[in-house]
Amino acid sequence: MVEIRRYSPVSFKASAKRSEVRDNWKVVLEYEGEGKGPHLVDLSHMTRLDVQDANVGAITPFGVTIPEVPGESVLKDNVLINRMNRIQASVFCLDGHKPEIPKESAYTETTEVGMCLAIIGKEVFSILEKLSSLDFTDPARKAPFLFQGPMSHVPCQIITLSKDGAKSGVLFTASRGYGKDMVHAIMDAGAEFGLKPAGEEKFSSWIASL
Amino acid sequence: MMTRFNQLPTLRIDPTKKVIFNYKGKSCAGSEGDTVATALYANGVRVFARSLKYHRPRGLYSLDGECSNTCMEVDGIPNVRTENTLAKQGMEVKEQNVKGSAENDMMAFIDKLDWMMPAGFYYRTMHKPASMWPVAMKQIRKAAGLGVMSPDHVTPGKFDEIFPRTDVVVIGGGPAGMQAALAAADKGVRVIIMESRPWLGGFFDYRAAEYSKGKPLYSRARELAEKVEAHPGIRVLKHTSMVGAYSNNLVTGFQIGGEGDSFTERYVEIRANAVVVAVGCIERPLIFDNNERPGVMQVACAHRLARTYGILAGEKALFSVGHDLGLEAAIDLYDLGMKIACVADIREDGQNPELLLELAKRNIPVLKGWVVTKAHGSKQVKKATIATIDGTITRDFNCNVIVASAGFTPITGPLTLAGAKLRYDSHTNFFIPETLPEKTHIAGRMTGLEDSMAIEASGTLAGIKAAMDSLACTCCGSESASEGDSEGDSKEKSSSSSCCEACDDAALKAAEEALKALPGPSRGTKLVTAPVKGRKSFICFDEDTTIKNIKQAIEMGFDVPELIKRFTSAGTGPGQGGIPGHNLPLFVAKYEALSGVPAPVRPTTVRPPLVPTLIATYAGTNHIMMKRTPMDEMQRSDGGIFRKIGVWERARYFSDDFECKAEIENVRNNVGMLDGSTLGKFRIHGPDALKALQRVYTSDMSKIKPGRVKYSAMCNDDGCVIDDGVVIKIAENDYYFTTSTGRAGQTVEWVRYHTRYDGWDFNMVNLTDSMGVINLSGPNARKVLQKITDEDVSNEAFPFSAYKEFMVKDTIPVKAMRLGFVGELSYEFHVPSSYMVSLWNMLKEAGKEFGIKNFGVEAQNVLRMEKCHIILGQESEQRTNLLDLGLGFLWDRKKTDAKTVGAVALAQAEKDQTRFRLVGFKMENNGRAPKDGSLIVDDKVRGYICTARDSFSLNEAVGMALVESHMAKIGTRLEIFEDECGDQRIYGKVVPMPFYDPDGSRMKS
Repeated sequence: MVEIRRYSPVSFKASAKRSEVRDNWKVVLEYEGEGKGPHLVDLSHMTRLDVQDANVGAITPFGVTIPEVPGESVLKDNVLINRMNRIQASVFCLDGHKPEIPKESAYTETTEVGMCLAIIGKEVFSILEKLSSLDFTDPARKAPFLFQGPMSHVPCQIITLSKDGAKSGVLFTASRGYGKDMVHAIMDAGAEFGLKPAGEEKFSSWIASL
Repeated sequence: MMTRFNQLPTLRIDPTKKVIFNYKGKSCAGSEGDTVATALYANGVRVFARSLKYHRPRGLYSLDGECSNTCMEVDGIPNVRTENTLAKQGMEVKEQNVKGSAENDMMAFIDKLDWMMPAGFYYRTMHKPASMWPVAMKQIRKAAGLGVMSPDHVTPGKFDEIFPRTDVVVIGGGPAGMQAALAAADKGVRVIIMESRPWLGGFFDYRAAEYSKGKPLYSRARELAEKVEAHPGIRVLKHTSMVGAYSNNLVTGFQIGGEGDSFTERYVEIRANAVVVAVGCIERPLIFDNNERPGVMQVACAHRLARTYGILAGEKALFSVGHDLGLEAAIDLYDLGMKIACVADIREDGQNPELLLELAKRNIPVLKGWVVTKAHGSKQVKKATIATIDGTITRDFNCNVIVASAGFTPITGPLTLAGAKLRYDSHTNFFIPETLPEKTHIAGRMTGLEDSMAIEASGTLAGIKAAMDSLACTCCGSESASEGDSEGDSKEKSSSSSCCEACDDAALKAAEEALKALPGPSRGTKLVTAPVKGRKSFICFDEDTTIKNIKQAIEMGFDVPELIKRFTSAGTGPGQGGIPGHNLPLFVAKYEALSGVPAPVRPTTVRPPLVPTLIATYAGTNHIMMKRTPMDEMQRSDGGIFRKIGVWERARYFSDDFECKAEIENVRNNVGMLDGSTLGKFRIHGPDALKALQRVYTSDMSKIKPGRVKYSAMCNDDGCVIDDGVVIKIAENDYYFTTSTGRAGQTVEWVRYHTRYDGWDFNMVNLTDSMGVINLSGPNARKVLQKITDEDVSNEAFPFSAYKEFMVKDTIPVKAMRLGFVGELSYEFHVPSSYMVSLWNMLKEAGKEFGIKNFGVEAQNVLRMEKCHIILGQESEQRTNLLDLGLGFLWDRKKTDAKTVGAVALAQAEKDQTRFRLVGFKMENNGRAPKDGSLIVDDKVRGYICTARDSFSLNEAVGMALVESHMAKIGTRLEIFEDECGDQRIYGKVVPMPFYDPDGSRMKS
């Protein structure tokens, strides 16, 4: 009898200390030896949506207003919304539980489209500059904000959620197929800074602190 | 080992820490901070290498890697510039390009044969007879060259890369660069400063001369360095050489890792808003007979050797210089214990009187208007001949070091790469920028300044300008104060312009005034060569190019430095033109002027990398970024052999039998499973979604029926097929469609591009990675499917070309299509990627009793070829249109609502009888299949083989080919020319398509 399970596009070379099954995903809450950071967290199980409409600004996913300017993001009640262009926004539901997906045709669930990872800790931008030439520390950009650009040569959506020292962190998505190689590249870039995989709880407590 | 200074405050070595390495198999000790060359010098090594062509002995000359004199093999890597490579414990150092040793090279006799090798001799002598060239080349390569490397050499170490962003990048960590960095950072912008040496300080770092009362220059250098390194707005990249500059202020370089760094070398790519170039000057080599003999060195080389590394270059030196730094060095080295035979100063006048007084105090004779003309000694300097600059009077001096320098020359490479045009400045004898690229500023010695205060002030000014370039105005929206400046003053601004940092030009004006109050650019010396004939006077050490060679080239008609450079190879060696640099154009201009043909003085072109480094550094971490399907791991554990296909890694085979007999037969007789997840998948929705589909697909998409799959194709404006796939209507104004794997990345842009003027309201989402695809094919496919779902999947309920959505085990949502690409009963399941492994395992378990097995992309390729189903890119190329492929039935000629992309071209092509046609063929006499891509020929090329295989299903070789239309008739004999077949041809015959199951009963039943 085959057990029905959902598999994340990424896996870490680390042992799960605590985990739970949620909507058929095995969600690791904590890994062995997570250390003090920086941390890489797999959030691929978290629900993500694409919202597209000619009048996308009038849509309020989960009651949150979509930012007006492309490149701007808003984080409210664990809902992260990123304005991508004139007609499109991406929505990340970051509380770890599957929400009721709005029925309107403007929404497309994109959870499965990509991997979703967070890198958190004060060395985040030192790690990122090894992977991308995007200007995450641009003083003119106020977090949270969105970049749609390459990381390790792969097109990504990268949201800088905080540039505040030890609280610094980004969240990003890229095509699911790149999961394995992307994790390899990030872990390699982060090795000199002690980057370690961490469970969902690390992310949850971090995002709650923002 | 010679005695070294170990107490000098300028030392950059730690004499208490020893570094032991191997040199030619023997243990050699240096101090921490030593370069390989300085450590060897301290151990008495004077001859480091032999030259490329003449095998002349070569020694320490610049200490900055400006030539190949000290290139050696280090840890198996040839051509390592040992004079700026730090010595490390356990290093293996060897000489290169010698037969015997550098000291006693058996090939040294070639030096006497220089008369046989005039300028460009290899261009003129090695091409006739042609058969001689390979033989000669082999011998020349044996005798010449700079080191040998195995083709499979793996460079040891960790190679990294960073792509930092900043507001201002300062190239050069000398006094001007440091002041520029501080001035810019004080304005609140982010600054990166790059310095090629392992420390900041530039030409202040090693000098004991006074900066201000009681403060030597080296103290000032350290004071500035401390400030820079402590500034929170400045990032210091030491031991980082710039190698390239590109548009939009993109600066590239590489950094050498030190103790505690996680990398051996790393590539650095900096994007900045503004650039300050403050790289200073190098010494312009003085050209005289045997000017590269070991013992001849530049001023800074001898001075730094003593002050930075604690080594006196020799016991007795003769100085032949053209600038005050030479005089200063002579005084300082005398004070450190070196005997100075004489200072021959090229200049008749203009020396700093204080320095002349100091020289007189020390009884060092100074001869004004004199220059060294010859170094004597076979392997090391023993004597020097000097002469008046007109060559009329000569004198000899015994010495074992000749410190020689014609003058200074700015390091203009970074500016040239950035796009600056250079012009000759007769006052400084420098090439200086006529105009600077936007938001690029220069500072320091490279502007001709020699006064220490002025050099710093120019840095401050450049830093302020660069900062203002970077700052966005927050008050009046005006252009920044420095915008549009070249080298001169800033624009006048209104008195109220200090409303924000970007507009505050008070600091700018103050910096300009400060600079104006200080001494300006100094007069430069113009002498290039001593009064010599030039047979053994080298303008380029790396390529053994002499002044005589340059004259020969000019006399042969090469009248511009750029051509002379190529003809004589001057400046094309590992020193990247450091030695010939500006001497070549200056000499050419002077020589041509003497010949009565004055020519403009133009420097030769420089290209990246300005400083040579390892290819491994450019490769960086070199992570292979490929996409993998959700089934990747499982297919590998099932024995899948993967190949790169576009951006994906896919299982091409499942055994070592690359003809895939077992996989093919299992699909034909039982049931097989293929991972088709790489297919492009899209949702298009919105009120005008159908119009967009009508635009890009050739078929009438309004005829898509609910529960049915519609196969169609997309063409480009030329009617050539670019994509094919299926479209499903999932709701009103809501469609799901597939594309070929290769087109997935471009489809959204393609549709948007072709509807860009219409203002249509539709939305697209790329779901390619979101949905995995399982292709279940074979006569037993239905039996397998029945076991995992309660859905009625009979032929009546789920016929060919039908579409269904259902849940497996009430959990896994499946979009199922009844297709037949491989020519058998087939289902295509589109499943959320995270569930793919689970569904795959369920099918595998259900299919066990029916003999289910994996099949890979190659088996699929053969199966569909037997059925004559096309794969774009295999049966088509850039010029192949829909009609050529026999897919004209996909083109709806009656569509009125939308203009179809490619329709106009197709209408024209329909009447064209000269186009290629896709045909099926079988091989004559049951022959083997030809190779894909083989040509169809008669007296001309008439077409080519698209795909051909020995078919196990048909027991004969079959294939598809694109041929000229007159050859498309059934029964036409095809003459096939395979790669490297010589006179042998194989033959096939055009036959009807498809070859397998022509009536389609197997896939439709």
